[in-house]
Amino acid sequence: MNIPPGWSWLGQFLLYVAAGLLVIWLLVTGYRALARFLGGRPGLVRPLAIAGGVLAVVGALLPWVTFPLNDGPYPDLATLQFFDAPFAVTGFRLFTLITGVAAIALSFVPRIPVRRVLRALGLGLAGVALVNTIFPLIDGGGFGAITAADGAFAFGGIVTLVASLVLFFVSKAGDLEPLPRWNTKVPRLVAYAALLVSFLVLLFAVARLLNSGSDSGGGSTTYSGPIFLSLLVFFAGLFGALHAIGFAGWLSAVSDDHKLFSVLVLLLAALALPFTEAGTDYWMTIAANIGVYAATAIGLNIVVGLAGLLDLGYVAFLGIGAFVAANLSGAAAAEFHIHLPFVVAALVSATVAGVFGAIVGSPTLRVRGDYLAIVTLAFGEIFKKAAQNNIGGLTGGANAIPGVPPISWFGASFDESFTIGGVQLPSGVLYYVLIIVLVSVVMLVFANLKNSRIGRAWIAIREDEDAARAMGIKTGQAKILAFLIGATLAGLAGSVFAHKTSTVAYDSFQFPESVTLLAAVILGGMGTIPGAVIGASLLLILPEKLRDFSDYRLLLFGLALVLIMRFRPQGIVPDRHRRAELAGEAEGGVPIEELNVPDSPQGATR
Amino acid sequence: MATLLQQLTSGLVLGALIALIALGYTMVYGIIQLINFAHGEVFMVSVFGALATYKWFIPQSWQGTWQIALPCMLVGAVLVAVVLAVLMERFAYRPLRNAPRLAPLITALGVSVMLKEFVRNFFPGATAAVSVPRAFVDKAITFAVPGGTVVIQSTGILLVVVSIIGAVLLQTYITRSRMGRAMRATAQDPDTARLMGVDPNRTIVLTFVIGGALAGLAAVLYGIHINTVDTEAGFLNGIFAFTAAVLGGVGSIKGAVIGGFTIGVIKTMAGQYFPGGTEYDLVWIFVLLIVVLVFRPQGLFGEPERVRA
Amino acid sequence: MSAPATKAPVLVANEVSMVFGGLTALSNVSLQLGEGQILGLIGPNGAGKTTFFNCLTGLYTPTTGSVQLRGRVLPHDPASVTVAGVARTFQNIRLFPSMTSLENVLVGRHARMSQGPLASLFHGPAYRRGEADARTRALELLEFVGLAKVHDELARNLPYGDQRRLEIARALATDPSVLLLDEPTAGMNPQETEATRQLIFAIRETGVAVVVIEHDTKFIFSLCDHVSVLVQGQLLVEGAPEVVRDDPRVIEAYLGKPPDEVEAEVRQYTEEAGPDTQVKDTGGNQ
Repeated sequence: MNIPPGWSWLGQFLLYVAAGLLVIWLLVTGYRALARFLGGRPGLVRPLAIAGGVLAVVGALLPWVTFPLNDGPYPDLATLQFFDAPFAVTGFRLFTLITGVAAIALSFVPRIPVRRVLRALGLGLAGVALVNTIFPLIDGGGFGAITAADGAFAFGGIVTLVASLVLFFVSKAGDLEPLPRWNTKVPRLVAYAALLVSFLVLLFAVARLLNSGSDSGGGSTTYSGPIFLSLLVFFAGLFGALHAIGFAGWLSAVSDDHKLFSVLVLLLAALALPFTEAGTDYWMTIAANIGVYAATAIGLNIVVGLAGLLDLGYVAFLGIGAFVAANLSGAAAAEFHIHLPFVVAALVSATVAGVFGAIVGSPTLRVRGDYLAIVTLAFGEIFKKAAQNNIGGLTGGANAIPGVPPISWFGASFDESFTIGGVQLPSGVLYYVLIIVLVSVVMLVFANLKNSRIGRAWIAIREDEDAARAMGIKTGQAKILAFLIGATLAGLAGSVFAHKTSTVAYDSFQFPESVTLLAAVILGGMGTIPGAVIGASLLLILPEKLRDFSDYRLLLFGLALVLIMRFRPQGIVPDRHRRAELAGEAEGGVPIEELNVPDSPQGATR
Repeated sequence: MATLLQQLTSGLVLGALIALIALGYTMVYGIIQLINFAHGEVFMVSVFGALATYKWFIPQSWQGTWQIALPCMLVGAVLVAVVLAVLMERFAYRPLRNAPRLAPLITALGVSVMLKEFVRNFFPGATAAVSVPRAFVDKAITFAVPGGTVVIQSTGILLVVVSIIGAVLLQTYITRSRMGRAMRATAQDPDTARLMGVDPNRTIVLTFVIGGALAGLAAVLYGIHINTVDTEAGFLNGIFAFTAAVLGGVGSIKGAVIGGFTIGVIKTMAGQYFPGGTEYDLVWIFVLLIVVLVFRPQGLFGEPERVRA
Repeated sequence: MSAPATKAPVLVANEVSMVFGGLTALSNVSLQLGEGQILGLIGPNGAGKTTFFNCLTGLYTPTTGSVQLRGRVLPHDPASVTVAGVARTFQNIRLFPSMTSLENVLVGRHARMSQGPLASLFHGPAYRRGEADARTRALELLEFVGLAKVHDELARNLPYGDQRRLEIARALATDPSVLLLDEPTAGMNPQETEATRQLIFAIRETGVAVVVIEHDTKFIFSLCDHVSVLVQGQLLVEGAPEVVRDDPRVIEAYLGKPPDEVEAEVRQYTEEAGPDTQVKDTGGNQ
């Protein structure tokens, strides 16, 4: 009898699992042993830093790939042999070189927290090394690509990986230094200058990041994924180092002291993006989409982050806003042949979405919070079904509503490019500006509400509903209000979306989109404003850069949700309260016990 | 008349399936107050587990013999479901036991998305619907009724019988056995239960195991009854099952079963008789859910929630 | 057996009964709280003290009977009761853990602020004035309970005794006429207990009538003007502290032991873990 194929497959699978567990066990044990060994030897900081730095320099000068891969030569002269041209290194090899030299130099600088700085740089370098080792490994077919083949010799990635580990372990030699606190009482002019320069640097960093690995139009190329990721982790390492020396904390404190100025500069920086290298048609479109998602995510943040109500059908409100706007835009396929001015249509869209928000939220008057998640999920599904079946002729069903005209003010159509002072600006730049305005308005709404009587009531409900009620808060009303306002903001974003994409179809508003929005809120940091924007940006830019992985997008989202909840529930940008609490923290990663405070004493409400 | 009876029968069969899945939701929610969104996906993955067992683990010469193939598929599906449920509990939910209420809920959502995408990406051919062979038990029984006939598949009967027996056994287990008592104690007050010598972790794992096993059972029966499966199977059936659990009263086994049958019947009836037909059957189910919850927040058979201050 | 209150009654409970699925947790409990009075509510574990509080604050709807504040019947909704002027603390502290002390107290001001959603959205001058007033008042209250220094700390990082005091400040922020304290000294050391006693006297000075549930009988007898003893859901004795302390029925209710031993006995229990009449699984009608 033939043995069916599954059994050998299962055998292999179990073997891999066992091998994986063994490797993990070895790594964990090795890590602990090494940390223990280094713990009592603070004198090893400089030797380790120099060793790591030298290794990184060597790694930068060694080739990383032995032969041109299937999709063409790996970027940044990765196959360049030995030390032929030490000054020709670019891209990720340059990052490696910089990190190595910096590590050696920093180990001689007095009065800086060397361990912290090198830990950040080491982690960044580890990211660079991993990305540029794993990618050729998978894309180029096996270890030959990164080690030695046919007389060619590589090992750059492996040496760099070791270098990054050595740099990381510097932080384990002796106790980690406390985070330095800089004097935040500085003259106004100094503060303004620092803020201005920082935001300008940020602007150019973002532009560089967006355009990294792109073709002339900004679109993705074969290797834009690894190039983008390399730059991203390198920047993250640099930022970590700036944080370690206390600069980031200082800047954030200074910008808190000069709020109005920082907001203005940030706004100007955002508006200046079209003038940078990222000012292409392609990126204007992506940026507009990010803006729409960010605005919607901020609305969702009111519901989830402030009021603590999980909404799993939130994208439906974006959809409602978009369909209403499309129907009022005079599009040929629309049910109503009315063409309202955009501002009026946007207000109508927002209102309609808000009304639906209140309706969906109204079961909260009786239904407990957990069940509401199901109600919202159901609402999302019902919306999808209704839109798919062209309910009342309003959604176009499978045919969608095509031909929504672009917004046009004073004779200027928003989808055309135009010229300011001799500079040719990309098409879609007007939409970009509009969306910056939209996001700013939504942010303002969020910030004002959060720091108000209503916002405090929402947070109180999130923290302990019974206690909130005992404080005289009408919790039902407050929750419905959260839904109403959140949905209104989403509807507003939807109206812009309708005009920007020109075709409004039901399949833009399905469950995966709701998950994306939720992931944006959680990744960025629940209850914070920059969080939703950063989350939305990452979640929309990464798929653009990593086209090869588009099938795994949702898989990675799911994984991200689980991992974030487990290891960093406060998200990338923690709420200010939590930040205050983290300031004294020794570790970058926060022990979970300290963040997980039960919202009510165990068993108290059940 | 014939149509009505036919729809009723189909509804009962669907309801039996929903009830089996709902038991997993209701038990987990009862014990740790977590909507385990991923439970529906556990069900879906085990359908694929059963299919994989059939395709790749049973020698071809035996595939036609249902006396061998069916038990093997059951073992495969239940194994997959139980392993998944235990892993999920251990690595995703347990670390969050004391986290804010929203955290495990979001984790559950993440796990659910992951499971679905994992199967879609890595199970050969799962990007579209995959057919489950009906090489066995495909007998149908036809009844003559006034105005036509009613057809009921033998697999449908099997589903109804298994789900009722399963629920009765479970109820007995929970009320009579030592572990069952430990479960109820943990559900009511984990701290006191711990003082009484109950290990809450063991009890919670057991709850997940039982829920998973029932989902595995449901998966095989679903597979051989529907004869096709896609990665969407978990999402909607999961929602229906959770709705059934909430409708019947979370924590109540009787409630889950009755809720399941109610939803099954309403879905088929609405699909046949209500405006919008099958496209909007979902709507009616949720309308029912909301109406029930508004008037009886604890569900039909649930114990009322008591605020303790 | 309602002994007449010495001053005009603020809070009156009329024959309040509470039945949970066949088990009577409270039967016909009546109570009068005079203006500026401190009333102690004692009784063995599971006697229904917290249940009675929950009936007073609208968390439970009494099966029969009613509660009146200055002659007006209180609704069965915690938020409205608070608005009407009855504030409470909880037996197991229930602050908003990731808000600062100041924000916790500001939440307490919620019902006394009038800003609606639009005002909250636009932050006009009137809004800012209201917000500033609330802030001032909240800081005063923090000062009053001795927590002004930690106004920017997260509630969950405060030491235990401070959390209890913060909960009192938060309740006072609702401008109550009656303050209900559920075991305000549970888990405190003698110094903290004494500080709490002084705090309650100070609260009385501001014109707020106080009801205190406590296990510590010594604390109660040295604090209250009037003491009610609740046993098995029924009002056993009430009156002046010295009268109640010497009443043989009270001594008997406390296991037939003299007061000091009783106190030691009672302290061993915690309210919810008790084995007797407190109903857990039969449910109530929330």
